[in-house]
Amino acid sequence: MIDAPYRGAEVGERTKIEVVDLSVRYGSSVVLRGVNLRIRERSIHAIIGPAGSGKTSLLRTLNLLAIEVDGARVDGAVTLDGKHLLLGEVPLAQLRRRVGMVFASPQPLPRSIYENLVFGPRLAGVRKRVDLDALVESSLRQAQLWDEVKDRLDVSALKLSGGQQQRLCIARALALQPEVLLLDEPCSGLDPISTLKIEEALTELSERITIVLVTNNTKQAARVGDRVAFFLLGEMVEDAPADRLFTAPSDPRTNDYLSGRFG
Amino acid sequence: MSTTSPSLGRMSPPLVAPRVTQIVAKTLLWAATALTVGVLVFIVAFVLRRGLPYVTGDFLTEAPRDMGRAGGILPMIVGTLYVTAVAVAVATPLGLGTAIYLTEYTRGGFLTRVVRFGAECLAGVPSIIFGLFGFVFFVITLGMGWSVLAGGLTLAFMILPTVIRTAEEAVKSVPPQYREVAYTLGASKWQAIVKVVLPSALPGILTGIILGIGRSLSETAAVIFTAGSSLKMPVSLFDPARTMSVHFYLLAREGISMPKAYATAAVLVLAILVINATAYGLMHRFMKRFS
Repeated sequence: MIDAPYRGAEVGERTKIEVVDLSVRYGSSVVLRGVNLRIRERSIHAIIGPAGSGKTSLLRTLNLLAIEVDGARVDGAVTLDGKHLLLGEVPLAQLRRRVGMVFASPQPLPRSIYENLVFGPRLAGVRKRVDLDALVESSLRQAQLWDEVKDRLDVSALKLSGGQQQRLCIARALALQPEVLLLDEPCSGLDPISTLKIEEALTELSERITIVLVTNNTKQAARVGDRVAFFLLGEMVEDAPADRLFTAPSDPRTNDYLSGRFG
Repeated sequence: MSTTSPSLGRMSPPLVAPRVTQIVAKTLLWAATALTVGVLVFIVAFVLRRGLPYVTGDFLTEAPRDMGRAGGILPMIVGTLYVTAVAVAVATPLGLGTAIYLTEYTRGGFLTRVVRFGAECLAGVPSIIFGLFGFVFFVITLGMGWSVLAGGLTLAFMILPTVIRTAEEAVKSVPPQYREVAYTLGASKWQAIVKVVLPSALPGILTGIILGIGRSLSETAAVIFTAGSSLKMPVSLFDPARTMSVHFYLLAREGISMPKAYATAAVLVLAILVINATAYGLMHRFMKRFS
């Protein structure tokens, strides 16, 4: 196994997250059953599927939010760099710092842009003003928001437009310098231009970090995804490189979904 | 095509034209509002008109003489603030802690319902019962005597339900997404509560505390048995004190001096107005900073 990939053929081949025979239940309703999925380092793994297919539950299981907040019952195994998350091999706070998350609707906290961005780093113990300033600038640049807000960092984050708020949320996750970024339909409420900016940012980010992108928009999955997994009714139907899944899906259900026969 | 819905043409017209009901409704609502404001203004004006002419600099800065027939009410002002401060200082952490525990750490179970029911019952208990309880428990059993401490603790238990309920509502009204955001940024549950939930809930929590302050300032029955009715200036927590409302009650009840009674009432009403205005002003500034 190649542990330190260099740029070239091996990039994106090392496993970052592995999901083995994962089942997720809320009370008596099973939302995911028997899911196997390998997410490669420094790639964008898009997850598509109609509503109720379990995409969001998968995402919220990867950072254990499903267990902590939603009270889900989870069976199977999820590993991050080989460490078993469901067995608590990675402390929760550390996991959340290594695996960032962006929600479907922008969720800025009711405070200034600056304070939103330094929230995570401060909790992680970054105290010096210069360090925080540097994190704020670099994460805003990576989220392609720096030029729009650099002169008004002390303005309330709620005053930004929807697209800006979502990029702020991406920047906020990036301020912790995560290895993985989970995005749950990050462009669902946004206009095409904001969507484009976010997609550009994600493509650039995938050179350094692993991205799992849940999306309702198959075109978006085609535009930015390196691999695409198709989920249906709590099962993973197919997982393939993006070009193959969209041109020659191996499962008829994938074909039906992509050709708009349902969903 | 089914035609089960009645056609508009066949429906009978309303007995009263919508325009008329609209005018009547609006007038009634206006009248209710006007009556509420009117009663409030009348009470305040009544007290101030009778009391204000006797409120002088000396009245505010002197001790009473001759049982309150002459002199001022400085010890009563100090006593009132003292007792209220103790009540708020005790009730705020207790109430806030209970509210946080009920909303964040229990999932609406049996315990939550029992505590909430208890708090509601406590809110309905007449203040004189609190006074009696305070007298038996704090003053006698715990041997505190008539004191600022006994009065403050009694008031604390009296305003506790208000503080709990308002704080609970405020904490509950913080969007759950804020907590999730905090978790995804590496916060523990406690950090999420302290750094995200409480700042967002602060205006609501302060409203409860302000209501508590108002009740403490104006309470008579609960403090007359517990803080006492000494005319001397209270210095330590264990000194007896007479609050302004008790002073007013005794001056009026015993017919000692109506002008002094109304002057005391005027100071009390003004103090409540000033404290509320200041608190809401602070809250407004705080909310502006955070949104």
